[in-house]
Amino acid sequence: MTLQDCYKAMGADYDEVFGRLRSERLIQKFVLRFPDDGSFNLLESSLASGDIGEAFRAAHTIKGVCQNLGFTDLGQSSSALTEALRSGTPAPNTNELLEKVRQDYKVTMDAIRAFQASLA
Amino acid sequence: MFNKGKILIVDDSEMNRSILADMLEEEYVILEAEDGEQAVSIMEERHEELALVLLDIVMPRMDGFGVLETMNRRDWIEDVPVIMISAESGSASVARAYDMGVTDFIARPFDALIVRKRVVNTLLLYAKQKRLASMVEEQITETERRSSLLVEILSHIMEFRNGESGLHVMHVRTLTNFLLKALARRTDKYALSAADIERISVSSALHDIGKIAIDEKILNKPGKLTDEEFAIMKTHALRGAEMLNAMEEHRDDPLVRTSYEICRWHHERYDGRGYPDGLVGDEIPIAAQVVALADVYDALTSPRVYKKAIDHDTAVQMILDNQCGVFNPLLMECLKENSESIRGLLKGTLEQSARREAQGIVSESVRPAGASDRTLRLLDQERMKNDSFSAMTNDIQFEYTSSPAMISMNPHSAETLGLSEIISDPATDPQLQTVLGPDGWALLSEKIRLASPEVPDITYDCELTYGGHTRWHRVVLKTSWSDEDPPRFLGALGKATDIHETRKKLEELTQKASRDPMTSLLNRAAAQERIEARMLERPQSQYALVLFDLDFFKSANDTYGHQFGDAVIRTVADRLRRSVRGADICCRAGGDEFMIFLEYNTDLEKTVDRIFRQLTGDYEGFYISVTMGVAQSRIMGLSYERLFRAADQALYAAKRDGKGRYCFYDPSNTSTYSAISDIDEDANE
Repeated sequence: MTLQDCYKAMGADYDEVFGRLRSERLIQKFVLRFPDDGSFNLLESSLASGDIGEAFRAAHTIKGVCQNLGFTDLGQSSSALTEALRSGTPAPNTNELLEKVRQDYKVTMDAIRAFQASLA
Repeated sequence: MFNKGKILIVDDSEMNRSILADMLEEEYVILEAEDGEQAVSIMEERHEELALVLLDIVMPRMDGFGVLETMNRRDWIEDVPVIMISAESGSASVARAYDMGVTDFIARPFDALIVRKRVVNTLLLYAKQKRLASMVEEQITETERRSSLLVEILSHIMEFRNGESGLHVMHVRTLTNFLLKALARRTDKYALSAADIERISVSSALHDIGKIAIDEKILNKPGKLTDEEFAIMKTHALRGAEMLNAMEEHRDDPLVRTSYEICRWHHERYDGRGYPDGLVGDEIPIAAQVVALADVYDALTSPRVYKKAIDHDTAVQMILDNQCGVFNPLLMECLKENSESIRGLLKGTLEQSARREAQGIVSESVRPAGASDRTLRLLDQERMKNDSFSAMTNDIQFEYTSSPAMISMNPHSAETLGLSEIISDPATDPQLQTVLGPDGWALLSEKIRLASPEVPDITYDCELTYGGHTRWHRVVLKTSWSDEDPPRFLGALGKATDIHETRKKLEELTQKASRDPMTSLLNRAAAQERIEARMLERPQSQYALVLFDLDFFKSANDTYGHQFGDAVIRTVADRLRRSVRGADICCRAGGDEFMIFLEYNTDLEKTVDRIFRQLTGDYEGFYISVTMGVAQSRIMGLSYERLFRAADQALYAAKRDGKGRYCFYDPSNTSTYSAISDIDEDANE
């Protein structure tokens, strides 16, 4: 599985990322580091404990990282969740949006793990 | 040039920091902070090393705006440019960030090219801005140096006249500056800003400017002054203040204001027993209080014709013991506490100023023969800097090379003068001749002939005509020479600065110095000069010197007040002007005393009588009456001294015989002068 295949698997645009970061080595390095980023766990735990401020920042970070790495779907859903949490009081559709983030996160992680396995 | 500058990346996402670091780490050293608090603590220690900060907005603990707030409060934002990283595109937060001093934005997702380009642009922009700021600062320093130089020249002229060494002004200024700083550290009672301290220090040089109106004989009298002479001497405080006050246009200028306070009140005492106004305590402006102390200290510790220098410790003790006046206790504490620093303070003043001059000269650049690449590059930079300088200051800059004979100018200078940027064969160029005037080129060539490799700098003043005006300029030339033996003149870098206003002001001041500010009549020193010149010029003529003063003037002052007294003096001056011919010399000799110098052919007595009657008469209910003494050159010879003394004696005799009369000096009958007139009858009419 190539890096391009990995991007295709998660429904993301490799060419766009390459246009910006200009190095396959770099992109691969960061993609492989994505599973270590604790933001998703932080998002889940802070929402569970009702810490909306922390949840907002976690969603915001996921959004930023996804934008940088060109993870289009997860970027879009985490962005929507960020906006729902921005005011400090969760918007009514927060649960739906969170569910979408969970799905996209899973798709993204599955693709990366498959790519990781193919490298080993 | 900017290789391995330090960049601080502040972002809570490690991934994001890494991506940025990867883009930049080849050319820069990267520091990272994962939230605002960490960023601030890094800046706390190393903000001076940082070339740039990349700052995220949304972060835990302290967000990006918090960091900006701190950077503003600590003034770091002036030195360290900040680029905001954010996907936050809400225009409100963008505007807020710009307001807080952010230079640029980088939006997510990052694009390596754009990130690098923005970083480089921001660094270049900041470097340029810093360079410009330092240029402007240099230029301001230069302007200040020039105006304080002018003040110094003026005060040195005075010291020259006082027979002092010229060190006094410098000492008073250094001490004043030192004491003010000490005072400001000690108390904020006087709210002394750095600018105040600088202004008062410059103004201190003018503290004795009123002495220009004091007779040189009194000023430089080696022995003790008589009470009368001392009374005249004391007028220098008010005279100085009057001179400054007479500069109507500039009266409200802070420098003139401060100088006025210093001139008028530097002989007041904190206990109210000083002169001229007897102000008490902090009624005396702090500027005058400090200068008074500096003046006394330097007078004690410097040698004079009539005394030896007193050592530092004795002088300080004398001041603390109130032996030389009474000063503000706070100031005395400053003096006592800093006694050790003051001891060494005045030793270096001369060397320091000489060194300053030398640095000033070195900082102008010359093109050396066989310059290395680096030097040429530096020279280029210098030229660029000079170009912007001249655009900022309106200085005209040019370069003259001798073979081929050519003058080149930067675009700004050429445009100002209406000349082309390159003038070949300048000696005969008609346009250049219009600017320089018919003899201008000859003058310039003459000045260059006087220069040598040992004395390469030339400064002279000349008039330049351009833009429809002819104005005075100061031309500074730095000549360069070949290494051959004998050295050959290669050319010169030159600068012309408009000094028209300054020169006019100096002329105005010289004019003012010869006039009494209240009546615009000549003062005594100026009158004496003209009288002596007149007698020298026309020794065949007959002259009379008339001295007169006002009778009962003190009672006019006491009864109606000083303003009325001043009006009386002005009225007498007007009547005097109307009663004499244009060639006669009139002067206010001091207080209510006037002097007339007449040239006559026929009946002197008739002339004197006419003047006498024209001066006499009612003014607003006060009867102006004068007593006159007259001396003739026919008897006393062509000597101002003798004439003045004789007229003074005749005046004294006339007063003795009852006021309101005139009297001719007659040496053949010393006890009974030929007192002639008595117009008491007229007065009674």
